[in-house]
Amino acid sequence: MAGPRIACIGVIGKTDNPLHISLFPPYTDATIEFSFLLNSCLDIFEIRRKQTSIDQDLGLLHAIDERLAAYGWLTTTGVKLLIIVDLFGQEAMSAGKPAGPAVSGMRDSDLKPAFRALQSAYIQLLQNPFYSPDDHAPTPGATAGAASACQPVSNPKFIADVQRIGESWAPGTAL
Amino acid sequence: MSSSKASRIGEEIWKTRIDKVNAELVTLTYGTIVAQLCQDYDSDYQEVNKQLDKMGYNIGMRLIEDFLAKSGVGRCANFRETADMIAKVGFKIFLNVAPTVTNWTSDNNQFSLIFDDNPLADFVELPDDGRAQDELWFSNILCGVLRGALEMVQMQIEAHFVSDVLRGDDTTEMRVSLVRYIEDEMPPEEE
Repeated sequence: MAGPRIACIGVIGKTDNPLHISLFPPYTDATIEFSFLLNSCLDIFEIRRKQTSIDQDLGLLHAIDERLAAYGWLTTTGVKLLIIVDLFGQEAMSAGKPAGPAVSGMRDSDLKPAFRALQSAYIQLLQNPFYSPDDHAPTPGATAGAASACQPVSNPKFIADVQRIGESWAPGTAL
Repeated sequence: MSSSKASRIGEEIWKTRIDKVNAELVTLTYGTIVAQLCQDYDSDYQEVNKQLDKMGYNIGMRLIEDFLAKSGVGRCANFRETADMIAKVGFKIFLNVAPTVTNWTSDNNQFSLIFDDNPLADFVELPDDGRAQDELWFSNILCGVLRGALEMVQMQIEAHFVSDVLRGDDTTEMRVSLVRYIEDEMPPEEE
């Protein structure tokens, strides 16, 4: 399938603590690169938050290079949903060098269903009485070093949901 | 009274005489109670089951009064009728589910309730500690409710879950057995 695909989904907590990061082929091994990209996006969240307070959908945050672009969604409770889109998708990968320009008809609103699905997955996770959000947030007053030690979400259903969203999304599809 | 008649009564009362409450409120409240019990008893799930049953018993003792007032039904002729009444009227009006009554023993003293849908367990995933899946009966409060309610109408029963979709089973099944009918005990001074 040609066209944009999701390369990475990140769910980041209120205090910039990573709750969950999923990578999708062909990027499944690029953990460090994507952690770095997600991290750099958090600053943009911070800036945007001051400018606009109307919509949860922040749209395009950052076009990283001709291939990758980061989109963000900020819930009112400060949870950040990040999707990094690979504008060439799988086909470009097999064909070697991409031929055309990367602006292959991808609109900001194309990602809305993905964000909505992601948000409902997160809500589902929160509704589970045995999930305790406090376990995944650094304690107030902890140092930056301690913050990085807090646990990512290990709930299998949530992870499977995120996986499904990332794999099945394509512009114009419903999730 | 037949099962379908009980269904009609249940439907009718549910539509006309019941105050509805938001489902998430119920689900989340119950979920929090169970999660808190698990924490308080240090994940001693046997004890959590016992506490849930006890809480249910206290609810059932009170709820039966409300049930009789709202439903206006009379005494059941036999235990089979009781079972239909529980499944099609009781569960219907309080939880808006109607479990299937099945697996009767030949002496008509034991049956199973199969829950297709359990509003208490929406959103729930049991803790992943390797024991909860085998020990915790998440909806155990329902067993207590039945026990408490039926005791108030002169039936001593025993109820327990035998399977639960939360544990990965195909169905959620509760086994109910009649122990005995409690004889009316008149206070001695009354004639």
